[in-house]
Amino acid sequence: MKIAVLIKQVPGSESPLPLNSTQTWVDEPQVTYTMNPPDNYALEEALLIKENVGDGEVVAVSLGPERVKKVIREGLAKGADRGIYLEENSQIETDPLSIARSFASVLQDENFDLILTGLQSDDAGMGQTGVLIGELLGLSTATLAVQTNIQDEQIRVKRELESGWFQWVKLPLPASISIQSGLNTPRYPSLKGIMGAKKKEIRVIPASEHQTAEKTQTIKKVFVPQTTKKTEVIEGNADTAAARILEILKSDVKVL
Amino acid sequence: MIEREALELDILFVGAGPASLAGAIHLKRLLQESGQNANIGILEKAVEVGAHSLSGAIVDPRALRELFLDKNDQDFPFEAEVSEEHLYYLTDNKKIPFPFIPPSMNHHGCFVASLGKLTRWLSEICENEDIDIFCGFAGTELIYDEDRIIGVRTGDRGIDKNGAQKPQFEPGADIYAKIVVLGEGTRGSLTKKLIHKHNLMDGRNSQVWALGVKELWQMPAGTVQSGYVAHSMGFPLGHDIFGGAFLYGMKNDIWNLGLVVGLDYKNPGVDSHHEFQNLKTHPWIRSKLEGGKVIAYGAKSLPEGGWYSIPKLSVNGAMLIGDSAGFLNGQRLKGIHLAMKSGMLAAETISIALAENNFTEIKLGDYEDRMKSSWIKDELLKVRNFHQGFDHGLFGGLTNAGIGLLTAGRGWGFKDRLTSEAGHLQMEKGLKKDRYKDLQFDGTYLFDKVTDIYHSATSHEEDQIPHLHVNEPDICITKCAEEYGNPCENFCPADVYEMVPDGENQRLQINFSNCVHCKTCDIMDPYQIIDWVPPEGGGGPTWINL
Repeated sequence: MKIAVLIKQVPGSESPLPLNSTQTWVDEPQVTYTMNPPDNYALEEALLIKENVGDGEVVAVSLGPERVKKVIREGLAKGADRGIYLEENSQIETDPLSIARSFASVLQDENFDLILTGLQSDDAGMGQTGVLIGELLGLSTATLAVQTNIQDEQIRVKRELESGWFQWVKLPLPASISIQSGLNTPRYPSLKGIMGAKKKEIRVIPASEHQTAEKTQTIKKVFVPQTTKKTEVIEGNADTAAARILEILKSDVKVL
Repeated sequence: MIEREALELDILFVGAGPASLAGAIHLKRLLQESGQNANIGILEKAVEVGAHSLSGAIVDPRALRELFLDKNDQDFPFEAEVSEEHLYYLTDNKKIPFPFIPPSMNHHGCFVASLGKLTRWLSEICENEDIDIFCGFAGTELIYDEDRIIGVRTGDRGIDKNGAQKPQFEPGADIYAKIVVLGEGTRGSLTKKLIHKHNLMDGRNSQVWALGVKELWQMPAGTVQSGYVAHSMGFPLGHDIFGGAFLYGMKNDIWNLGLVVGLDYKNPGVDSHHEFQNLKTHPWIRSKLEGGKVIAYGAKSLPEGGWYSIPKLSVNGAMLIGDSAGFLNGQRLKGIHLAMKSGMLAAETISIALAENNFTEIKLGDYEDRMKSSWIKDELLKVRNFHQGFDHGLFGGLTNAGIGLLTAGRGWGFKDRLTSEAGHLQMEKGLKKDRYKDLQFDGTYLFDKVTDIYHSATSHEEDQIPHLHVNEPDICITKCAEEYGNPCENFCPADVYEMVPDGENQRLQINFSNCVHCKTCDIMDPYQIIDWVPPEGGGGPTWINL
């Protein structure tokens, strides 16, 4: 079983996230970076599948500036066998289709049985890269997996739907699956894992070799939403108050 | 019986600060020169190197130049060379320049720097030289073989708040090493145990500490001169509290503003964070911050005791370096170069010890001899009584420091050694005096602790046992409330300690996830019942350039 896990490096959630001077993304030097938490679950799922199947290879793949090698090494420390690093010099978030094309161009020669992604990134939150790669490479594709099960040349996936519903689907391999957070408990890297990670290969793909198409989107402006606080004290007895609350829920908040 | 991962190294440094990083690099090279080979590892509790590094900082490049003979000052990750320096006495609303800056406080030839940037830079060199740095692992216990230290146990991970194992539970690992070098920084938790168990402070002055609180301010383009340096005394601390303010110009229009407050004040109501906010009400400071935005906050204690507070440096199988050993020049406000040099001197001893396969206290004592014949001693001996003079207030301290300049450091001109008393013993019983009645947190220039903590980018796994161990919590409610009015609420710069109503009484609530790892509580608690132990590895602030 040959599995690729796509891991993104995102700003840490504890960072205050200042914006850059052109207001096109966060101010890189003022931000600390971490492994995208949903991708951590995808990595764990890949390691578990490999351990259950009993043989195979888990490859940690990431794209971005030099710093993203750190999340690849973190993946290697946790047990991934090797890494692929796609160089990208722009510090500004790129659209999912361009990213998916880059990944697809590199991954297609490797003939992976499975490509796993986290359900979305914690920064841009597009949730499209895995699906787009599946489409570009002609793989069977499913999203929001909360359970996976490999059977012969197939994978059974329990998908999370809305309102507490689930769906079991059976997909032929190779497949691209996005993993819902919380389906497993990601392991900690061990000391020996960290030492061993240094000896594992990270293949570097220069930007010129994977960025074939023009970018389809650009970010015009990033801004912090204006927070407005409105307080209304509802006077009167319980019945009038209840009627007013109902009105607010229907017309203002629109949840009913 | 829990099965633990075991790892055998030759040398283990604990804490990836300037002392350990410089020590490891120097050791690697010494071993290469003498044809030896050894596995060197560094443990770091932060999620990455530099995330817990905080200093002023003005760096004396002396140790860096010695460590990197092939590099120039321009190669070091400094912000700027000191280009302009001022020393002021502040009244409530005026600044009065000192008539001259004494040579011992002159920063000419030094560099404004961020310690976080410097440690990250040093760590990259370590990685390239095949030194293993294990981030996210805290050393929690020293492993002994009879009276010899043979390694360090790292903290368990995946323990919930009730002490039960979570699904991802991972027991701490045992790392064995021929020599363990403690470079944990200020008030290290393993260092504290080691000093206590081996009586390493016998015959020394008690260590006295200060707390540094700082913010970085992003200013409009073109308004900050990098390399600008100003220090001040007086407002807001007055004459009875040791300390002073600093304002340094960094690259990219960032002001680095901070206040150092001696942790040997008398009024239990002193709150270093609030003093720092008060500083920003001064018209001069306020004018410097006009139009800016705070981008980072942090706090760290610093060992101020000086030469006579340096513990015995070696025991069988272990050594102390950097802030863990108190290598800081309080008068020059500098310790990074001393920390690095101490790590390098330790490395020289280690290289010999490895060659002779001898790790006894006597062999490792060679490090202390080297220190005493190095410029560390020259520098620290001259200012050995600096902090002690301030037990007599600001003017007493300045007088003593002034006479010290003429008498090569003698206290009051004739005493070779002034003694000092631990800071927590100097706090006076009786009600707190409120120094902050008029302080208004406006949210633009002045911030409450919670807002500042947000800018420290601090987080901890919430579901774990709080890492601030209060050994006798009853004392907080009864004795301390009565005698000191719970100064923990004031001395902690991160709102970790909070007395909250509990029925008719009060109880102590510990907001451990706010903790910025400054260690002030462990130092300043008047009953010494707070034990700061490392939280689950990876927790704490994620500072970038403090």
